[in-house]
Amino acid sequence: MDDATAAAAIAFVTLLTVAVGARGVRIARTPADFMVAAREVQPGLNAAAISGEYLSAASFLGVAGLIVSQGLGALWYSVGYTAGYLVLLLLVAAPLRRFGAYTIPDFADGRLASPSLRRTTTVLVLVIGWFYLLPQMKGAGITLQLVLGTPYWAGVVALGVVVSSNIAMGGMKGVTFVQCFQYWLKLCAIGVPALVLLIVVGHGSTRNLSAEHGPLFTHSTTVRVQTSTVFTLDRPAVVHVTGLLDRVSLDHKQARIAAGRHIVAAGAVLQFGVGAPVPTSLSMAGSSPAMWDSPFLAAGTGGAHPLVATYGVIIATLFGAIGLPHILVRFYTNTDGEAARRTTLIVVLLLSTFYLFPALLAVLARLRAPELYLTNDPDSVVLALPSLLMPGRPGEILAALVAAGAFAAFLSTSSGLLVSVAGALSHDVMRGGVGTFRLCAGVAGVVAILAALPVNRFSLGLLVGWAFAIAASSFCPLIVLGIWWRRLTWIGATAGIVVGGGACCCAIMATMLGAAAHGWGATLLGQPAVWTVPLAFVVMIVTSLLTRQAIPPHVEQVMLRMHLPEALTRHTYRTGRPYSRT
Amino acid sequence: MPHDTQDTPAEPAPPPARPRQVVVWQHDRARLQHDVIGFGDVQSDTAYGRLLVRSLTRAQLGLSLMCLALAVAVVASLPVLAALWPGARRIAVAGLPLTLIILGAGIYPVLMAIGWFYNHQASQLEARFIDLVDPADRRLDG
Repeated sequence: MDDATAAAAIAFVTLLTVAVGARGVRIARTPADFMVAAREVQPGLNAAAISGEYLSAASFLGVAGLIVSQGLGALWYSVGYTAGYLVLLLLVAAPLRRFGAYTIPDFADGRLASPSLRRTTTVLVLVIGWFYLLPQMKGAGITLQLVLGTPYWAGVVALGVVVSSNIAMGGMKGVTFVQCFQYWLKLCAIGVPALVLLIVVGHGSTRNLSAEHGPLFTHSTTVRVQTSTVFTLDRPAVVHVTGLLDRVSLDHKQARIAAGRHIVAAGAVLQFGVGAPVPTSLSMAGSSPAMWDSPFLAAGTGGAHPLVATYGVIIATLFGAIGLPHILVRFYTNTDGEAARRTTLIVVLLLSTFYLFPALLAVLARLRAPELYLTNDPDSVVLALPSLLMPGRPGEILAALVAAGAFAAFLSTSSGLLVSVAGALSHDVMRGGVGTFRLCAGVAGVVAILAALPVNRFSLGLLVGWAFAIAASSFCPLIVLGIWWRRLTWIGATAGIVVGGGACCCAIMATMLGAAAHGWGATLLGQPAVWTVPLAFVVMIVTSLLTRQAIPPHVEQVMLRMHLPEALTRHTYRTGRPYSRT
Repeated sequence: MPHDTQDTPAEPAPPPARPRQVVVWQHDRARLQHDVIGFGDVQSDTAYGRLLVRSLTRAQLGLSLMCLALAVAVVASLPVLAALWPGARRIAVAGLPLTLIILGAGIYPVLMAIGWFYNHQASQLEARFIDLVDPADRRLDG
């Protein structure tokens, strides 16, 4: 990859983001202005902003990486991320807009009239926000690592500093324009390379896509081993070797390597002919012939009970979008409930369009660049693909475009998340104004940077999937039941959030620490949504039924406000009991 | 109030059929009740207004749940089908595995169609409610 072109592209995207964001500084005056743009954003613009904020490192790099490393079952992530917005449209879009809260703690307090519930939700906003920031930071770390050769931490720190200072300066008003611009940038940055590569190299045989065998080399390939690695061959191969292979030193020797595991030392050079099986590194081991076309997921569970793990991801992504703290605020910027519905439908369309391309890139990687199966980090597949498939200037330009798009993904999602985290900190914890918000943006950025340094070894898709699982098992039941069920009480809501969210967090922590590597333990801890989401709903409903005395007295009015079409409250001649947002 | 609510038939609204939905407004009946009920009831939280709002939320919830059931049936049935019929994954169309065709592209238009159907129905539902409690010919401002 041409370092200079890609570096320039990343710098350009970053500067443009800061510049567009700075436009908002003059308009943002009050704390409310800082956190949400004034409610004047049109559905098309708003939908692009929502999508721009939503499409994170996991979508841009993670999905393609998971497909390459785990097989086509990883497509469930992109299907779930999109279907999550459909569920959001069906269950909460219009009522949430009519309610008029712009943070989840606001919604909880306004609906159930409980300061203590507000505190609980604030804590969880911080947990989910910071957890979701980790993969964005990791994405920035590995992108700069690949493009500029900087150490992992440099990218993490760079992203944290840029995003928190940008937010401290501009706030949300700027962010709306930035996010909208970022969606189209991301779509171009993944769509143009995918289509160009498809046209240039996508013709011809599709035999690498069949599941009869693992990927085969499509052209004779020389592999230079950078660090000592263990790799697997699924069939014997004849290889031209120079260097240390399986503790035997060879010098320009033709060697027949048996199927199975081999260890190769740093500095060795292996030459494979056309049709030779591609060795796969340990991190790609999931991509065996049997896994490639499996419609199930094995990520995070060690491959045990794939059907249950798949449902875990489906539940987490379908119901997680509702509970993400940085998404709710976007509904406040719609003009009314009807516009919120229209916006959300456009979001589903924009996301569907985007997700065609990571899948296309992953398929092209398997089809034409099987040497990527030797890479140790699947998350860098999208970044490495263009220059592998198109050597020379055009490939470099495409690679730079992809790197810029990836950086846009980290910038936009982490901006949205940091606004939510800083908003929760300044508004609910410190109770301060604009000055405090700026301070909190800095503090939140520093915490995210520090937390992101040790998560390098987890795949992006997995980390984001976990953030969704926490949101689905805590905020999703709160918002859905809060909108549709009159008998929800603050005690029930608190119990559900603490039990569901807490169980989910514990399961994820246990997986990160390596508590269970296989069997049911790994499945239920690695994809906890499959049991924590129903658990949260049940606890919330049962506890609410047991604490009927705590049903807030104003519940009918709140229900009216959430479900009454705005057309009824707009007419000027009605003066009695206005149901406007206060 | 002169009208009685238990008289209101519990039959499904014309398009589409939704079970367990109490219909408290019907086009022709609502016309007769113009000068009796209306937005005033909804605003001042009378028993009738409360019933109106409940029927609105119930209709909205019924629509949402129906579309949700449809979406979940489409998405969640796929893994079960794949588990019941393991041979399906070996099917390839033009060299592309079936898994890729369905999950990579085919499912998105279905999701869009469900969303479009919901938006259409939800707008109609709200328009009918507005027409009931606040008929256009009684509005002072047009």
